[in-house]
Amino acid sequence: MGNGPSVGAMLEIKGLTRRFGDKTAVDHVSFPVPDGGLTGFVGGNGAGKTTTMRMVMGVLQAHDGEVLWDGRPITAAQRRRIGYMPEERGLYPKQAIADQLVYLATLRGMDPGAARAAVMEHLERFGLAERAKDRVEKLSLGNQQRVQIIAALVPQPDALILDEPFSGLDPTAVESMAGLLREHTSRGVPVLFSSHQLDLVDRLCDRLVIMAQGKVVTQGTAEELRAGGPVRYELVTAGDAGWVRDLPGIHVADVDGRTALLEVVESGAEQRVLEQALRRGPVEEFRRVVPRLSEIYQEATS
Amino acid sequence: MSTHTNETTGAEATTRHTADPGHGTEAQQSRAATRGAWLQVARREVLVKLTDKGFLISTVVTVLLIGAVLAIQGFMQNRTSTFDVVTTDSTAAAMVDRIADRAPDIDDKVAVKAGTEADAAAARVAVQDEKADAWLQRTDSGWTLVTKDTADSDLSTVVSTVVRETALADNASKAGTTMAALQAGTTVTAQQLDGNAERSGLVTALGFIFAILFYLASIMFGMTLASSVVEEKQSRIVEMIAAAIPLRQLLAGKIIGNTVLAFGQMALYVGVGLVGMSFTDYGKYVAGLSGSIGWFLAFFLVGFVALACLWAVAGALASRTEDIQSTSMPITMLMMLMYFGALFLDGTARAIGSFIPPVSSILMPMRVLAGEVSWWEPALALLLLVAFAVGLILVSERIYRRALLQTGGKLSVKDAWRTQE
Repeated sequence: MGNGPSVGAMLEIKGLTRRFGDKTAVDHVSFPVPDGGLTGFVGGNGAGKTTTMRMVMGVLQAHDGEVLWDGRPITAAQRRRIGYMPEERGLYPKQAIADQLVYLATLRGMDPGAARAAVMEHLERFGLAERAKDRVEKLSLGNQQRVQIIAALVPQPDALILDEPFSGLDPTAVESMAGLLREHTSRGVPVLFSSHQLDLVDRLCDRLVIMAQGKVVTQGTAEELRAGGPVRYELVTAGDAGWVRDLPGIHVADVDGRTALLEVVESGAEQRVLEQALRRGPVEEFRRVVPRLSEIYQEATS
Repeated sequence: MSTHTNETTGAEATTRHTADPGHGTEAQQSRAATRGAWLQVARREVLVKLTDKGFLISTVVTVLLIGAVLAIQGFMQNRTSTFDVVTTDSTAAAMVDRIADRAPDIDDKVAVKAGTEADAAAARVAVQDEKADAWLQRTDSGWTLVTKDTADSDLSTVVSTVVRETALADNASKAGTTMAALQAGTTVTAQQLDGNAERSGLVTALGFIFAILFYLASIMFGMTLASSVVEEKQSRIVEMIAAAIPLRQLLAGKIIGNTVLAFGQMALYVGVGLVGMSFTDYGKYVAGLSGSIGWFLAFFLVGFVALACLWAVAGALASRTEDIQSTSMPITMLMMLMYFGALFLDGTARAIGSFIPPVSSILMPMRVLAGEVSWWEPALALLLLVAFAVGLILVSERIYRRALLQTGGKLSVKDAWRTQE
């Protein structure tokens, strides 16, 4: 394996940089996409997610940095084995669905016979088997999106790079798409997908990469990101909670009558708060407040 | 472990972990993996077109048209027209009988049938009512052929020839001499050093047909190529293709696919034309034309490929189908120039033009057909055209590659050349 990354990531992005004129759209972006994990790629419009993904796929040239596959610069042959769903969807509007899926699979080195069998199997699974001979333009947008994902999945990819795979899907389709992605991660494939839907990313992803203005602002597992955020406790007492203001080792974020939100500055201080509170009377609630991803995101990108 | 990069789905997954450093450079590997991709692209281009009803119908209609034109030509050449000529007196009747006898010798497509009418009025009515084609009448100064409207030129020729012969013979015997003596030394025989008049006419006609075929095929398949390029760009499927294969392979496949289609269609038309022609009076020239037609097809092939690159660029510069009209303007201008150059250039200009690509792809085959050149001239012109095509392919490939992934509106050639990949 040579100088591969430590987390067991076949696919690693290292220092990717791309400029458009004077503007640096992607500025030394580095992160691994671990095998068998879903990595969520989050950031506002123009943060540089799509540009990064296009460089990973070799559609756009990088001005600096590299994409590593198994510790070495990725080759075109290896790229062909990555399933890709571009941000801007598109298929031949006037060709039969099955025919163009087979065509795209053969371009990626698959034998035509095997490609047709795999395409039919996927169409079957998405309930599109009877529409195999229909033209793409006759399908609903949701079904077009399904055909698009089949195009990425057909030659049993070694990795998946999906730009906004959930956009435009209804809740049922979101669930089946999520199930499909997990199916691929469970066979050990690294999956990178971008999304605007933070709740969805929070629920699905093993890892997160947050980008803002062309740079990675924070990355890691959801737990790591939360751990990096402030440690907060909420205390609800029977009487007024104003007394917490005087305690050392904590920062009081908010007090509202019987409820106080505390930020721990010195570890262990929260235990002393609880002792004090019990001494003063009944404690109705004392719990660790886990920051939501949107809060982490707000904080990271602000 | 230095040669193969076979892509079998299962095996790849296991071998990729053990890829050794002696596996060849990245570039070698990529080239090996995608070497045959153009074939897939070309195959799709051909299949899509061959299953397109519009294309099939227009091809069949054209073949039928060629057949029909040649059949009509053959029919017209062999048809004999019979004319009813009426008279009102015995002198005229005798003349018409003589005309009827002599007609096949003068023009084998004219037959004359004699008829009589009671008087001038009846004869006039017969012609007016189209019961008779003409009324031949003796007048003081000679003869009059009365017809409803313009007399058929073949009939007039036959009638006037026989009348003149008869009158001359009469006048000769009155003067105490003979027709032969009077006519001695008056004949002019036309002699053409190269071929004959009929062949010259055929060659000129075929030259124009070559020019038109090249022009039409280039425009038609060029437009098809440009719109299929922009279809890929507009529908954004090109990004998925670009992730799978080098764009150079995509361009090669599209050009090869369309060239195969255009060349196949052209060969079909030329073949049907030649077979059809062999059934007409021109049949005897078919064998002699095969060399010229071979050159025509060779120039067509190279010229078409060169222009196809330009069409692909026109497609890549556009960002919507509607833009093709304006991005392809320079090519349509060039094609018009080539076409009219072929029709109107003459003498030295024609000789020079037949070596200058891409005009040479039309002009040189026309000159070969006309028998104006020695063997090395088309060979040299073809070589120059090939060199031109290669240069054009290299330039076009760069512009195509750079323009194809730029989706923000119509591009200029300069912008596309300078833009970064």
